[in-house]
Amino acid sequence: MARSILGTNSGTQTLLRSPNPANTSKLSHQAVQALLRQKRSKKYMDVVTQLDAGGHLGGKQSIDSLMEAIREELPDITVDALPLGIVSKCYLGPPYEVHTLDLSGSIIHHYKVGEGLPHLMERARTLAVHPIYAFIEVYSTKLIAVSANGQTAFIES
Amino acid sequence: MSTERIIQAADLSFILGSLRNLQSDIGTVSGQVESVGQDLSHTRAELSRLEQSFADFVASDLKAKELALAETRQVKIRQELETTYGYYAVVRRQATGILQAADISLVRQETLRGATEELMLSAPRYWLAPALVALAAWIGDNKALADRALAEAVRRDDEKTSLFFALIARRAGRSEANRTWLDRYFGLQNPYQLDRQTVVMIDAMANGVFGADVSRHCGNRISAWIDELSQKAGFVEAQRTQWSNALLSKAPHDDHSDRYSHLARFSPAWQALNNALNGVAMHAAVLAHFQGVFQGEIKPAGSVLIAVDDLLTKLVTRFDDEELPLRRKEELCSLIIEEDGDKRTAQSRYDLQSKAFDEQVDFTQLLTNAAMHPESSHATRATQRFAIAHSRDWIVDAHEDVAARARMKVPAKIEVAIEDWSGNTVKGENEKELLGSLQSHLQKRESDALALVKLGGKHWTGLVFGVVLLFMSFSSGMITLVMGAACLTWVYFGYRNLTTVRAKIKADYARLQEQSAQALRACMAEAVELRRDITARDAVALEVTALLKGISPDQHVLSSHDAVRRVIVNG
Repeated sequence: MARSILGTNSGTQTLLRSPNPANTSKLSHQAVQALLRQKRSKKYMDVVTQLDAGGHLGGKQSIDSLMEAIREELPDITVDALPLGIVSKCYLGPPYEVHTLDLSGSIIHHYKVGEGLPHLMERARTLAVHPIYAFIEVYSTKLIAVSANGQTAFIES
Repeated sequence: MSTERIIQAADLSFILGSLRNLQSDIGTVSGQVESVGQDLSHTRAELSRLEQSFADFVASDLKAKELALAETRQVKIRQELETTYGYYAVVRRQATGILQAADISLVRQETLRGATEELMLSAPRYWLAPALVALAAWIGDNKALADRALAEAVRRDDEKTSLFFALIARRAGRSEANRTWLDRYFGLQNPYQLDRQTVVMIDAMANGVFGADVSRHCGNRISAWIDELSQKAGFVEAQRTQWSNALLSKAPHDDHSDRYSHLARFSPAWQALNNALNGVAMHAAVLAHFQGVFQGEIKPAGSVLIAVDDLLTKLVTRFDDEELPLRRKEELCSLIIEEDGDKRTAQSRYDLQSKAFDEQVDFTQLLTNAAMHPESSHATRATQRFAIAHSRDWIVDAHEDVAARARMKVPAKIEVAIEDWSGNTVKGENEKELLGSLQSHLQKRESDALALVKLGGKHWTGLVFGVVLLFMSFSSGMITLVMGAACLTWVYFGYRNLTTVRAKIKADYARLQEQSAQALRACMAEAVELRRDITARDAVALEVTALLKGISPDQHVLSSHDAVRRVIVNG
């Protein structure tokens, strides 16, 4: 079917600037999803995967650089839509299995095999230890598994 | 007393007589009521027949009136069509003739030109008339006239003119003209609402009917559609969900309990393990599906060539949009006449036909249906390749999501429960530890069971009673002695039986230890195998990603196209 250039019988809707300032300052759910879907940059991947290099308790410098990298990676995302934390394999070796980064408190914590993770982080554990994923970003309603090449996978809860 | 009897007898006979009369009267009334009842049911039946006859009469009268009305309307509509669009039919008839003549080169160019110019005069608003003038001018190598006629045809109906010349150029083997017109035609389409003829053209393009160069050029237009659709809020997410569901539909639902019989029997989490195995087995099914689509050479399907030729036939023989409202009214009248005035049946038949005629699809819906459900969408393998290539990024993302969900569903620990003992393993690495735990658990149970094997209260009572009787026998004689001895003998046999019971318990537990240890070892071996199996099946996901990432839209349009032209016939 030929498209209607001037008529209103088109399947598309022209999005006009909204008079409501609240709509302009906050991205729509779909726009946030699209941003979170994007492949993660090499810089961001490097910073997150080198968390272990900060030492057993995580150096303050490495935490600060990670927080900075997250803000740079997802600049248009408001604080409420940012990840709550990150879970990844721990390369400190046995008995440590995974470590978590709680972004609200900027704390790195290393967990031993069998030791329970905080409630929201625990669901990311299985994926975090899977060899294909570099780390898992934990959100309130979903997990985003990030592969070593930056490719993302959504797991809605 | 006797007087009373006489009075009674006299009174009774009178009463009896009256009763008989009453009975007879009741019988008469009953007969009359019965007769009235029969009359009533007869009347009812008659009334019902009358009602039915009346209803039939009304229905047939209505049908007759509808039939008469439809016939009258049909005549009027046909007259109106003849008056207003009569020349359109002439143009269509001649168009078929001109195409045939052009195909077999039997008519002189002057004749062709004369005929088309006459058509131009008789159908002042119809797009096909200037299009035929342009065609005749093209055949006669008159560029100036062809250009002018084309401009007019495009002004009247750009979409149909573009499609017409794209199809004509294909028949003539003019790939440059074909590319220009086809690109123009696709450029006019709305990707949210593609009609049947555009679907046929896309199918033809994917099958290489227009040649590789043309298909590649138009592929850019298709990519632009995808970009346009992707701009719509929520569209990309909807695509990923749609593809996730399509990929999940390929997951098997097998029962693996034959292969992992011990885990199926001794693991409470067996159902979750079985589901996890099926979840990761999806990758192999998806890989097989995509490999099946992309492996091997394919030839353009004959059905597609026929559909493209039919499209040209339909284009020059089908009614114009301008006359469609009247044509549709005429069609409804014809259906009412066919159904002998039954308007409701005719209307439902008409609605069904209209639905098929007006069917429009979203471009991405077309891609998903062609890629994953070719059997229901009747898509050719070339179209499947084309659809998958253009949806590649969405499929890769959806596959990543589905793979992550499948991995998450794999239980981290495998629980094993034997008798009332239970333990956990990740991949069977802690066999020795679990065997020790199971053994000590069973040993404790054995000790508990053995501790319960001892002389009961009745035995102790019997013993005391026997001893007392023995002492009493010194004074009471033989009978007491015998009774005392019997009691002690009974206690002795009871005591001796304890040893037998203990030995049996020990033997039972030894057997249980052996069987449980064997079951646990088998579970551990199956846990190792299960983890290997899951890892191997999960690794196929990488092959799927590699296969999908290796596909590019440019590679997947067929290059060959038919060299044979079918001579157009009267449609």
